[in-house]
Amino acid sequence: MRRHHTRRQFTTVLAVSWIVLVILAAITADLLPLPAYDETLTGPASEGPTLAHPLGTDALGRDVASRVAYGARVSLLVGIGAVLLGLAIGAPLGILAGYRRKLTDAVIMAVNDIALAFPALVFALAVVAFAGASLRNVLIVLGVLGVPAWTRLIRGTTMAFSRREFVLAARLLGARDRRILVREILPNVAVPAASYAFIGMAVVIVAEGSLAFLGLSVQAPTPTWGGLINEGRPMLDTAPHITLAPSVVMFLTVLSFNLVGDRLRARTDVRQSGLEPVRQAPPAAAPSVHVVRQDTLLQVEEMRTHFETERGLVRAVDGVSFTLERGKTLAIVGESGSGKSMLIRSILGLLPGSGVIRSGSVYLDGENLTSYTPQEMRQVLGPRMGTVFQDPMTALNPVRTIGAQVTEPLRVHLGLDRKQARAEAIRLLAQVGLPDPVRALKRYPHELSGGMRQRVTIAMALSCDPDVLFADEPTTALDVTIQDQVLRLIHRLRQERHLAVVLVSHDLAVVRQWADEVIVMYAGKVVERGATAEIFSRTRMPYTEALLQAVPKLGDPPHHRLRVITGRPPDLAALPPGCAFQPRCPYAQERCALEAPPLEEDCACWYPLNVRESHGR
Amino acid sequence: MAGSGSAHLREPDRVALRVQDLVVEFRGGVQAVSGVSFDVARGETLGIVGESGCGKSSTARALVQLPPPRSGSVRLDGVELTGLKGEALRRTRRRLQMIFQDPISSLNPRRRVRDIVAEGPRLWGADDSEVDEILEAVGLDPATAATRRAHEFSGGQCQRISIARALVLRPEVVICDEPVSALDVSVQAQILALLEELKERYRLTLVFIAHDLAVVKNVSDRILVMYLGKTCELAPGAELIDRPAHPYTRALLAAVPGGNRTSETLISGEPPSPVSPPSGCRFRTRCPLATERCAAEEPVMRQVGEGHFAACHYPLL
Repeated sequence: MRRHHTRRQFTTVLAVSWIVLVILAAITADLLPLPAYDETLTGPASEGPTLAHPLGTDALGRDVASRVAYGARVSLLVGIGAVLLGLAIGAPLGILAGYRRKLTDAVIMAVNDIALAFPALVFALAVVAFAGASLRNVLIVLGVLGVPAWTRLIRGTTMAFSRREFVLAARLLGARDRRILVREILPNVAVPAASYAFIGMAVVIVAEGSLAFLGLSVQAPTPTWGGLINEGRPMLDTAPHITLAPSVVMFLTVLSFNLVGDRLRARTDVRQSGLEPVRQAPPAAAPSVHVVRQDTLLQVEEMRTHFETERGLVRAVDGVSFTLERGKTLAIVGESGSGKSMLIRSILGLLPGSGVIRSGSVYLDGENLTSYTPQEMRQVLGPRMGTVFQDPMTALNPVRTIGAQVTEPLRVHLGLDRKQARAEAIRLLAQVGLPDPVRALKRYPHELSGGMRQRVTIAMALSCDPDVLFADEPTTALDVTIQDQVLRLIHRLRQERHLAVVLVSHDLAVVRQWADEVIVMYAGKVVERGATAEIFSRTRMPYTEALLQAVPKLGDPPHHRLRVITGRPPDLAALPPGCAFQPRCPYAQERCALEAPPLEEDCACWYPLNVRESHGR
Repeated sequence: MAGSGSAHLREPDRVALRVQDLVVEFRGGVQAVSGVSFDVARGETLGIVGESGCGKSSTARALVQLPPPRSGSVRLDGVELTGLKGEALRRTRRRLQMIFQDPISSLNPRRRVRDIVAEGPRLWGADDSEVDEILEAVGLDPATAATRRAHEFSGGQCQRISIARALVLRPEVVICDEPVSALDVSVQAQILALLEELKERYRLTLVFIAHDLAVVKNVSDRILVMYLGKTCELAPGAELIDRPAHPYTRALLAAVPGGNRTSETLISGEPPSPVSPPSGCRFRTRCPLATERCAAEEPVMRQVGEGHFAACHYPLL
């Protein structure tokens, strides 16, 4: 990412420099050691670039460099002026519509839509043709033409921000509308507006150029870029520089405005993910010192997933191993950033294509999945490993019916024909408890509730009769009664189909009830694992203990003081030395900050709690 | 459960906030809240629980008149808020403050944290000498807050900022709308502990809305259960959990992992659409105990125990 990032910064600096250069040239055109733009016969006519005339001369022997510099005045004045004019009219209208909403919005947007339906360039041509082709007229026409787009953009942004809770909070504090607009909304609207302004300037410069080319902008002898291009056109064969010079300058200017606008827009997204992929790293060949167990359904060995980011190497998953048998549920618990979801994605091979360093092995029935090509992997995902994620809408295509989506894997992987697939889909949907599955086939995802959508994704995950079901926070977005229904469903299907289930969850109560084995993750590593009952009753790792005591329980008396874990999970790009939990651990001793404890006897801690005498280290 | 009625309301003089027959309607006439009543005594924490669509968040917004309810009464220290307009509303409303679920969306990304917290005092012409004290009280460093913007903070710290902003005007009642649902377990415990500490320190009255019964029980003195825009049950926290009187409350408890799950307590199906709510008791379509009477007649809140009220024709107590 670093290299990519600096390259992007470099182009931005170039673009800004070019814009500054053009603006300076336009302002100081009179002062520059150039002949006047209309001074004829400053040298031989139609002469190519020379020392005296760096961009050559035109048919009348006028200096092209001078004419391009003076032409920049018109282009920039129109470009900047028209955008400011459009903004001056469009922004207040947009803010009014977006903030007031209701009738105000309806009226403004109705008028705006009509205005947008006008063929813009035809309108511009007509007005300039009638009112006369002067700088003022061109500027006003192009400015006014931009108003509807400005209104729409500002309205949308205003609306989005005025729905945010911070606006509600400001009103509760007693802020009046004017203050809310100035303090809360305008600063947020300003950045996207600035970005759009630069892109708008590029558009206007091109539009002015087109008008000038048609002779409908500022009239000769004042030079304009479009006019210059037009003038040079007849001599394209003999003196191409007359056309090329203004063309290239205009092209670079438009490109620069667009680049700066784009860059500003990227900045609007304040919260940039630290997990942006950088470059492809070849998968490190894993030294296979481990024994591949043929009798085990799923075996994960030393799984590591690292990301190269601007902030350094992020060790999202750092050496995780486990095995899983049929008919068992393994829960992976941890807080956000613990790497639990990334672990699942690493096992499934569903990682962004570049910037990821993944190593380790995954064996399904003894076959090494990490050696599979993407094509081979596609034959595994679905038929052998099913997935259910937190948000069913990410798994479902919003514009296709449930029927189309549930039958697709049946037809692709199992080769069923349309009729068989439909019958099977109905059977599957009924099995996951969808009421009226026949009708459900014709419905779209948005017509179903969250719980029903999750049932559909479970049906899809199970459609090809997989061996392992990966459920990543499958009920986190659901209400408690629905959560219970969905978890019971997964459990029932596990029994009926003799599945292995990997359940990723942050909810310890869910894990306690539904899992046979538990893996506790912290900062990308397994810190404790074992049978569920053991983990909950005889916790050894202080982090697990803290997590268990931090959760409010129904059996606790009201106002029961929860155990507070101070601090927060570590930055994966800058892990503390030694044990990653040590800065937050009440039992930490000197050794913990010096050496990272290995995972021994299913617990990664130098000073484990609740250790039986016979185990004493 | 489709409970209305106000038998559970107490004498007005001990009460900081009193809500009666609150109705919130969305465009198109769909009712999010249909005649909800409750009160909160000074220094008390009232927990409101319910699943999505039960109207708990709409109730919170209606309390602060953003937007105002369709009908009903909201009295803060005896002052009726629903009739107030303009300047009078602005002055009275500041005594109610809110904390929201989404830590990111709650804070203006373009303002510095100290400015966000100092906005209240500045608006009312007070000097902002208290701002640093509040920032420290919620566990933030005032010097850091003066230079940083919200996006440089973690979710838990953002909630601390929101709490500081809500408390700086010394409000009478603070409405917390799912304040910890977006947070990790360890951070959730920090914020819950902080709320308890601040409640003592500033003698706050809290309305605590959440979908997690265990969280609500932890912070609340009394708990109100809502379903599809109506009240079901109201009782002191421990009483409600140990001896639920309403079949819906019992079902909620059974659905909590580790709950008492039997064919009698568990409910199937999903809440009906608020566009066409069931007649009579709104819970009857999922209730294992429903009879014809439940379809014909809407139950009202009535006493079933000491400080314990339920809106059910066949309460379990």
